[in-house]
Amino acid sequence: MSRAQALPDPAAVGYPSFKLILVGDGGTGKTTFVKRHITGEFEKRYEPTIGVEVRPLDFHTSRGKVRFCCWDTAGQEKFGGLRDGYYIHGHCAIIMFDVTSRLTYKNVPTWHKDICRVCDNIPIVLCGNKVDMKNRQVKAKMVTFHRKKNLQYYEISAKSNYNFEKPFLYLARKLTGDMNLRFVEELALLPADVTIDLIAQQKIETEIAAAAAMPLPDEDEDGLMD
Amino acid sequence: MDDLEQAILLASDSPAAAAASPAVRAEALAYCARARDETPPSSLLHLCLYGLASSPHAHVHFWCLQTIHDALLLRRRLALPDDLALLRSSLLSLAVSSNAASPPFLRNKLAQLLALLVRFEYPHVYPSYFLDLIPPSPPLPGPTDMFARVLVSLDDDLLSQDYPRNAEEASDAGRVKDAMRAQCVPQIARHWHEAAVSLRAADPAVAAVALDAARRCISWIDVSLVANDVFVPLLFDIALSPGSVAPLAAAAVGCLSAVAAKRMDARAKVALLRSLMSAQKGFGSPDSGLKMAHLVTAYAVEALECYRKLGSSDADGAAALEMLEEVLPAVFAAAESGDDDEVDSGSVLEFLSGYVSTMKAPTEKQLGHLGQILEVVRMQMSYDPVYRGHLDVLDKIGKEEEDLMAEQRKDLIALFRSICRVAPGATQLFIRGLLVTALSSAEVSVEDVEVALTLFYRLGEIVGEEEIRTGAGLIRELVPMLLSARFSCHTHRLVALVYLDTISRYIKFMQENDQYVPHLLTVFLDERGIHHQNAHVSCHAGYLLMRAIRLLKAKLVPYLDTILQSLQDALVQFTATDWANKDIKFSSSEDGSQIFEAVGLLIGIEEVSPDKQVQCLTALLNPLCQQIESLVMDAKAQGLEESSPRAIGLQQIIVALTMISKGFNERLVMGSRPTLGVMFKKTLDVVLQVLISFPNVKPLRSKIISFLHRMVEILGISVLPCIPIALRQLLVDNEAKDMSEFLYLINQIICKFKSSANALLEDVFPAIASHLSVILSHDAFSNGFASNTEEMRELQELEKRFYAFLLHIATHDLSTVLLTPSCRHYLENIMQLLLITSCSHKEISHRKTCVQTFVNLIKDWCSSSEIEDKLPGFRVFMIEKFATGCCLQSVLDKSFNFRDGISIALFGEIMMAQKVMYERFGENFVVNFVTKLREAHCPPDLAEQYYQKLQGNDIKAFKSFYESLVMKIRQQQNGSLVFR
Repeated sequence: MSRAQALPDPAAVGYPSFKLILVGDGGTGKTTFVKRHITGEFEKRYEPTIGVEVRPLDFHTSRGKVRFCCWDTAGQEKFGGLRDGYYIHGHCAIIMFDVTSRLTYKNVPTWHKDICRVCDNIPIVLCGNKVDMKNRQVKAKMVTFHRKKNLQYYEISAKSNYNFEKPFLYLARKLTGDMNLRFVEELALLPADVTIDLIAQQKIETEIAAAAAMPLPDEDEDGLMD
Repeated sequence: MDDLEQAILLASDSPAAAAASPAVRAEALAYCARARDETPPSSLLHLCLYGLASSPHAHVHFWCLQTIHDALLLRRRLALPDDLALLRSSLLSLAVSSNAASPPFLRNKLAQLLALLVRFEYPHVYPSYFLDLIPPSPPLPGPTDMFARVLVSLDDDLLSQDYPRNAEEASDAGRVKDAMRAQCVPQIARHWHEAAVSLRAADPAVAAVALDAARRCISWIDVSLVANDVFVPLLFDIALSPGSVAPLAAAAVGCLSAVAAKRMDARAKVALLRSLMSAQKGFGSPDSGLKMAHLVTAYAVEALECYRKLGSSDADGAAALEMLEEVLPAVFAAAESGDDDEVDSGSVLEFLSGYVSTMKAPTEKQLGHLGQILEVVRMQMSYDPVYRGHLDVLDKIGKEEEDLMAEQRKDLIALFRSICRVAPGATQLFIRGLLVTALSSAEVSVEDVEVALTLFYRLGEIVGEEEIRTGAGLIRELVPMLLSARFSCHTHRLVALVYLDTISRYIKFMQENDQYVPHLLTVFLDERGIHHQNAHVSCHAGYLLMRAIRLLKAKLVPYLDTILQSLQDALVQFTATDWANKDIKFSSSEDGSQIFEAVGLLIGIEEVSPDKQVQCLTALLNPLCQQIESLVMDAKAQGLEESSPRAIGLQQIIVALTMISKGFNERLVMGSRPTLGVMFKKTLDVVLQVLISFPNVKPLRSKIISFLHRMVEILGISVLPCIPIALRQLLVDNEAKDMSEFLYLINQIICKFKSSANALLEDVFPAIASHLSVILSHDAFSNGFASNTEEMRELQELEKRFYAFLLHIATHDLSTVLLTPSCRHYLENIMQLLLITSCSHKEISHRKTCVQTFVNLIKDWCSSSEIEDKLPGFRVFMIEKFATGCCLQSVLDKSFNFRDGISIALFGEIMMAQKVMYERFGENFVVNFVTKLREAHCPPDLAEQYYQKLQGNDIKAFKSFYESLVMKIRQQQNGSLVFR
């Protein structure tokens, strides 16, 4: 707990505050992601999060200011902490995976299940991070989990700020029930470390849309008609 | 326990933690970790059970359950039988006495722990888990809820295939399912039924959880336990009853969908689907589509699958099709509801596409269905009126929406296309209906018009050119209707753009039906086109008009004056010097300059009389030239800043001139109508004055280069005298990017004028060579630029053009230029560069260019007698350096890939080089080359063979022999080149 900061008290701010749970395998970029907002600083070295770090991120919306208290949880089990104990009273969640690592996507259902067990019916966003990287392993059309579970999916790149605000905007809309809510001020983000190849990314976004129309893969079921 | 309780509260998000300092919380967390990791298993179990019984805090309960779960999962072999028995009995009693009011997260955690015990102990250690847990009749909410959560946890953590499972888990899952099937599944199914009946009103939330548990099990239990005439009617009743709360109704729909999707043989499935259909009157009605979207979609997908498997000639197959069509109204209603939470529009679309693809000659009834599918397509392709304003001005939000819609439309268009193929008549009729509606009402919305026009546009992509030309089907009626259309919302950007695009899509119809040409021109020229209030629409209209003129050509001659008059204001506006103040950003392709191209094309039509051409072109060119002259005069007095309105005005005028010239070709202006050539020549002189006065205003210079390209193209050889001065000016303050543009121009000149460009090239070559030696110095590439920087790309582009330049010189009878005294100075460096590049440049295409250049130089400079060589020493250089370095060593290197297309092409050139060297240098080449082959450990017999093949006429055989020779030598050297 290097940042000298007490747990943000939801009652302490005079505007709506939501507990956001940020989960996903270790190294998928959760901490990097939340640190892009002005409150954090981006660190190039990889430092595993110990237990949890809570960061209050404020956004100015067309309905006034809202705060997301981001519970940035440790992705690596060996570092312990309270794990799903931190999810208690969560209002919304982001599940992060790394598009350059298939395993991190394979574990998404498990993270989702763990959240749903503790938090009943909260809005959840699935984020595929590191889309700026060349060695992409999880292709857009392979990402189908969100469609089965009615989650929102975004491709992001924490390092380049690409789509940074999208997950927060979606969650703010769901939580306020106002699907036309917008962010009214330009977000104060750290400058991008890498620039994303927008043309290549547009192609991928096309694939996502195309993938959205594909049938979901068959669930292998061992019990046929008994 | 008190300390532990305190620590748990401080480490979590309890109110106590909010007040604590980070240090205290870190310490608390460490305390919890120590308790969990360092307490002996048996004591830990007792500690947790005590915490569960004594603490009032939910956080503490959660921690205790989680800790036991982890201990069991990670260290279960250490657990003593007595401990496990205690744990089991404690948890089972907690579960059966469970209160439905306790927090769901605690009940889930308890369920998770029980599911883990079931996995480890059922049925071999403790066979009664389910018998203990199934709530007695009549089911009460607490135990029913708990039991359902245990089943859900079991599904999540062991049975469901949605999660990665290892082999051990898979075998545990099989064991648990088998034992349950043998022991208690019918009893459990009875319980679900009872719970649904008795709790649907009393505690709908619990009833919903119970049905959710049922849904998850349906895939592996005997389906008749649910798919029977007792349970199914109950599920329908719950799903459709107005009294059911949403989660409960959804759970019932989930069960029915799981029944429909149950895997089985197609015939059994048809029977099952039939039974579902008959269980609910009006199953296929739109109403059930709205209330049971998920079910009707799943049902339709399954019915389609059965139909596909069994075929229409099979009785069951035909029945499947009937059932499918019966449920269609419900599917349409679901699709049109636009409820994203309930309807997976991707799978609906997939189903509809599948259904359409089964049709060959649609029946009357199916045509009706296709009409409805078209309506679904139309609705899903429509923009949301919320974004109307954003889309009109195309701000960030509008842009985003437009991109999103473009994506969303892709699959819908594919579906539209297949409907169009199956039922072209019905599709055209549908579109006519849309157009008639759109035209008949003054209140029609932007979105409706936009989608109607978009569909009409897409129709034009699908029907053949011939059909458009002849106006097949309704096209004959629809196109004229469109030509005279003026929509109330025509001012909207989207409507205006798609309107113009659609007209252009059907332009071949006008080509065959002259009487509509005036209508077409009116569309382009009035406020629906070039005079539209939106500048983007206006520019797009200009572009489309240009394309129309290219196509219709002579048909437009009678309208020449009308068109020019209508365009007058737009033409003037484009070159007005206040242009810079206009607050519009254009995409590079449609900047409004196309109207000049359009006008140029129009005047350049050969059917226009020479006098008329001169008159029109004079009226067009003279004012522009005068404008340039006056701007240059002002600029000379006051200076010319790169981004000043004056500089931009000059650029615009030069762009306009370039575009005008695109309507003319050399045959016309230099051959049949030389007066026109004189006019362009005069224009060129005026433009050159700009270059002479302001050579280093780069954006301007770039436009002038484009203009010069056009003049080289249309004025032919007569342009040559003007070129040297232009080139000299272009070399002022010349960086990589400028040099690259410059070389492009030079290359065009070389290719066009060949040896006639000799004197010009001789004049300019030294300047080019000295410039390039600075820009392209070896350092430039190793200067630490990342390879994707703009500078690097510019340098790479320049490098490519430079090699092309040398090759052009060598192939267009200009190589003697290199030997002239003024150029000779650079020859040594150029030869070295060509050699290094041809041997080892990482860009294989550059290597190829350089080898080709050498081949041509050999042909130009060397004959079979050395005495006649034009460049002393060149022959030796080629034999000793090029032949060895490029023809042998570079291909011996492992990095030379014989499977790569460009490398194969390069290899072909290298073979050609050897043939040419043999032809010109004879034995001198052979002796040296064979010696080098031997040094590279080539077996003597193969070296001998090489010589034979070299002499032969079969270049193909020579090539494949040499490739195999290279491979053999590579093997012998085992990858290392000994003589390097």
